[in-house]
Order: sequence, then structure tokens, then C-alpha cells
Amino acid sequence: MLLEARNITKAFGSFKAVDDASVTLEQGDILGLIGPNGAGKSTFFNCLTGDLKTTSGRVLFEGADITDFTPELRAELGLARTFQVPQTFEGMTVLENVMIGAFLRSSHRKEAEAKAHAVLERVGMSRLADAPARSLGTPGRKRLEIARALATEPKVLLLDEAMAGLNAHEVKLAIDLVRDIHRSGITLVIVEHIMEVIMSLASRVMVFHQGKEIARGSPREVTSNPAVIAAYLGTRAAKAAAGHTPVELMGGPDL
Amino acid sequence: MRRWIWLSVVAALAIAYPLLLSSPFQQRLGALVLLYAIAASAWNIVGGYAGQVSVGHVVFFGCGAYAAMGSYAKFGLSPLIGIPGGIVLAVGLAAIIGVPTLRLSGHYFSMATIAVAETMRLIVTNTEWLGAAVGLSGPTVPRNVFDLSFLSSLPYYYLFLAVLAITLAITWWMTNSRMGFYLRAIKDSERAARSLGAPASRTKLYAFMLSAALTSVAGALYAMMFGFVDPESGLGILISVKILIMAALGGAGLLFGPLVGAAILVPLEEISNSWLGGKGAGLTFVVYGAIIVLIARFQPGGLLSLFIRRGKPKTDTGAGHAP
Ligand SMILES: Nc1ncnc2c1ncn2[C@@H]1O[C@H](COP(=O)(O)OP(=O)(O)OP(=O)(O)O)[C@@H](O)[C@H]1O
Ligand SMILES: [Mg+2]
Repeated sequence: MLLEARNITKAFGSFKAVDDASVTLEQGDILGLIGPNGAGKSTFFNCLTGDLKTTSGRVLFEGADITDFTPELRAELGLARTFQVPQTFEGMTVLENVMIGAFLRSSHRKEAEAKAHAVLERVGMSRLADAPARSLGTPGRKRLEIARALATEPKVLLLDEAMAGLNAHEVKLAIDLVRDIHRSGITLVIVEHIMEVIMSLASRVMVFHQGKEIARGSPREVTSNPAVIAAYLGTRAAKAAAGHTPVELMGGPDL
Repeated sequence: MRRWIWLSVVAALAIAYPLLLSSPFQQRLGALVLLYAIAASAWNIVGGYAGQVSVGHVVFFGCGAYAAMGSYAKFGLSPLIGIPGGIVLAVGLAAIIGVPTLRLSGHYFSMATIAVAETMRLIVTNTEWLGAAVGLSGPTVPRNVFDLSFLSSLPYYYLFLAVLAITLAITWWMTNSRMGFYLRAIKDSERAARSLGAPASRTKLYAFMLSAALTSVAGALYAMMFGFVDPESGLGILISVKILIMAALGGAGLLFGPLVGAAILVPLEEISNSWLGGKGAGLTFVVYGAIIVLIARFQPGGLLSLFIRRGKPKTDTGAGHAP
């Protein structure tokens, strides 16, 4: 077992953004996390990466309890992430942004620089290496987040809506990139609204609604689950919509 | 390689200055510019590169000044012997301030630094052993060259120039190391930096301790040149403010920013003091207040950033780039 969350609860005041959620991740998995806006996906995700302290529950990585580890310690163990709202280092070049990730495993500047160049090559951003990061648009920033995370040589990569704000063509490119990352042996957790992405990438899916897990299984299984459709569309709409393919319905509003 | 040409020109000018402008007033002025440039460059490591604005930096300055004068006044040793002691004190104090506050938002850090500096000033003012309000004096008649007590400002000028060169070299080395990169990243987004494995609190703490150590050396040099230290000259809040403003005016987070700021503000203050006599001190505060407002309003990056942006339009002007 690579990563495991046991009964995670995260409360803001009396409001439980995540309520008793558990998940296990095996080497080679691509776990999809879906759910309507405000379901608690990012909050759960931030509990796994250490950005948020859990109210209760444990997080285990390769069998060791990392619940009290800082984000930087988790990064060192091999947990990397991207942010839903890109956190670009604005004052740096694209290359320097990636070097920050590379410095985790190589303390020398020249080494980190060489590694960052290699990562940029891999994600197809070599041409932009010396451009100021602040000149990038959304697609560039999303890709840069992935590049930075890859430079830390992670075992598990968590992507929080890495494809939101991309057009159809850019989404295709991003899916190819994620496949390539997966092939290189990295286990993935992807939070995504775009059903097309979940359907084509995820091996398993977990559905959140109001902080609780309401379904899990293969992408096919969950998208035909009435509870899931109800969560997305409301119960009445779900009944009315019976007969349409759920993927179509769920993909609709967010594409 | 334009950078190296600039560097050689500045270095040559700095070396030639006290020989070309050789009146005692001019040499003294030159030495003071360098001294404040050392202190402001030291501040720049934590205030500029790490983005943690210390408003009580004088407390480290005081550690050095009191250690240097104390080693003579209390133990009859050369003030030089006090320098390592001052560094240890300053670094220890930086750790005490930094460990609890650097993990919080920057405001807590700024307030903690003022609080500690003012507390230290009050404690020292009331400590007989440290000379209380009168302070401590250095050797009036030098016993040998190691007392570093000279009538002329010329030896101080070159001593300070050497220390400034070392300070800038350390800063430059830092900005090109992993630590410098981490600091810039933390300044832009601490959360993202940590997610990539940068130990944010620890890196800021190291920067703070390095800055404190160098500031204490500046304090020791200051006390040696003036031959004494008292709570006002060694621990007064005005010195913290001066150091901060020089760095901000020249360009915080730029290698030569503090030197530029010192080269503008020190002559301004010395000349206005010699014109206005004792009344100059009040005016100094007014001028500093005005400068803070102007920097905040018009040029947050400092004067040097204007110049660099024009010189290199296409690359970024972020920290770590020498002009
Ligand atoms: N720091 C916080 N303080 C208080 N409430 C919060 C905080 N962060 C998130 N929440 C609330 O927790 C709930 C879950 O938010 P979260 O960001 O995890 O949802 P999400 O599933 O990622 O949604 P989206 O698809 O919009 O990104 C929301 O109702 C949100 O308002
Ligand atoms: Mg979210």
C-alpha cells in the first residue's frame, strides 16, 4: 500500500468539509476524485499533502504514519502535488520554477538546472525555459505546476484540477502527459470536474458529496450510480434524466 | 559580461575615493557610507531576499558594538576579540526571535523584532555592568594596531570596504545557492515552496541568523570607529529604521541595492547635520518618513530596480541579479 487515508475528518469550525473519508492507493493506481463544487475534494487532498491539519484520522505513506508530517517532509518522502489555483513563483523564470522542485534531490545549482531542463523537455516546455513565469497563461501555468512537481521525483503525484481552464485540444495534450507520467511509474490521484478526463484516465473513482464519500468503483460504475447522478443534478432532475447517459449529463455543466 | 565591467568600475571608484577626496570630512563620510552599506546589506539578506521585514535589526548591531567595547572595557582585550562573541550573541538572539515567529505571518516577525530591540535597549540602559546610560568606551590611546583605534578615517575606510566586499560575496554566494532559490520561492508562495520540499521556516531562520551575524560585525566596526557605544548609538530604534530605509531605497533583494541607498542617505544626513547642527536629528526623522512614503508609493523595488529594468528589458529583475 503506497498511500492510505483512514477516517479523515476536517472541520472548519463546526462545518465538516470532509467527513470520515478513507481511501487506499496502490502502486500504479490512477485514483479519480470527483464530486460537485464544494464537495470537499480539495480539502481532502490538502489533508493528504499536509497543507491542512486533519481534525481526526490518520494518513499513512508506505505503511508509516505521516499524519503529523509537514508538507516539505511529505515531499521528501515522495508526495508531490499541484494546486487548483496555480501557485507560480512569479518573480522567477520558468526554468527557475522547476529548479525549486529539482533542488529537493540535488543541492547543487548546476545539477538542479540540468534536471529542470530535462523535466521541461519532457513536458514540452523547453522553448519557454527562460521566459518569466508571470508571462504564462493558464495552460502554461498548469503545465508548469506539473513540471515542478515532477522535478521532485515523486512516487505519488496529486493533481488538483490540473485541466480546468484548458480548451479541448489542451486537455488532450494534458491527458497524454498524465499517461506518460503514469507509464514512468508514478502513482496518481486526480481531482477533476471534466468527466472525459476521469473516464479516460482513472482506474478507480471515489465520489464526494458534502464531505462524505457516496460511491466508489470503476468510472463506469460510479457514473451510472443513481446516488452520484442525484448528487450532481438533484434527485428530481436525476429521475427526469433517466435514459440519458450519465457521462453526458455530468460532463455538461463543466465543459 | 557588462556586469563585470560595472563591478570593476564600482570597485575602482571605491578604492580610489578616499585618495581623490581626501579631506577628513570626506574620508569619514566614505567610511560611514561603507559601514551603513554593510549593515543594510546584512539586513537585505532577511528583509530583501527572505522578505521578512525586521524593524529591530539594531539589536544585532548592539550585540556586536557592546561585545567589542566590552572586551576592552571589561577584560582589557582588543575590541577585535569581541567580534566572535558578538556574532554568537546575535545569532542566538536571532534564533530566539525567529523560531517562534518565522512560521507565522510576516507581521508577527516585524513586531517581535521591534519589541526585542526596545526591550534590550531598556535592559542595557539599566544595567550598570554595561555602563547603563553612559555606555562603554574603547581604548582612548591605542596600545597596538589590534586595538583598531585610529585618528584618521582612512584605515577604517579600507577595513570597512573589505568587510563590505566579504558581506556582498556571501550574499552573492547565497543567492546562487539552493538557499537563495528557496528564499525567493518562499517569498512568492510559501505554500508552493513547501509542497516542493523547501523547508520554509528553517530556511528563513538561517537567513535571519546569517543576517544577524553580519549586522553584529557592522555594530562592532561602528563602535571601534567611534570608540564607544551607548544605548542610543548601539541600540536606538533610529538605526534600525536607517538600515531598513537604505536597503529599501536602493533596492531590497538586489545585491547592490543597500550600497546605493547608503551612498545617498548617509551623505544627505551628514551634510544636513553639519548645516543644521543638533537640530538635524529631528529633521532626519521627517526625511525618513517622507522617503518611506515615496518608496511605498512610487518605487517599491527601490532605485536600483529602475536602472536594471532599463538596462535589461527582457529578463526578470528578481532577486539575485547583480547589475
Ligand atoms: N479554509 C476554509 N475555511 C472554511 N471553510 C472552507 C475552507 N476551505 C474550504 N472550505 C469549505 O469546505 C467545503 C469544501 O471545499 P473544497 O475546496 O474542499 O471543495 P472542492 O470539492 O474542492 O470544490 P471545487 O470543485 O469547487 O474545487 C466548501 O464548502 C468550502 O467553502
Ligand atoms: Mg477544489
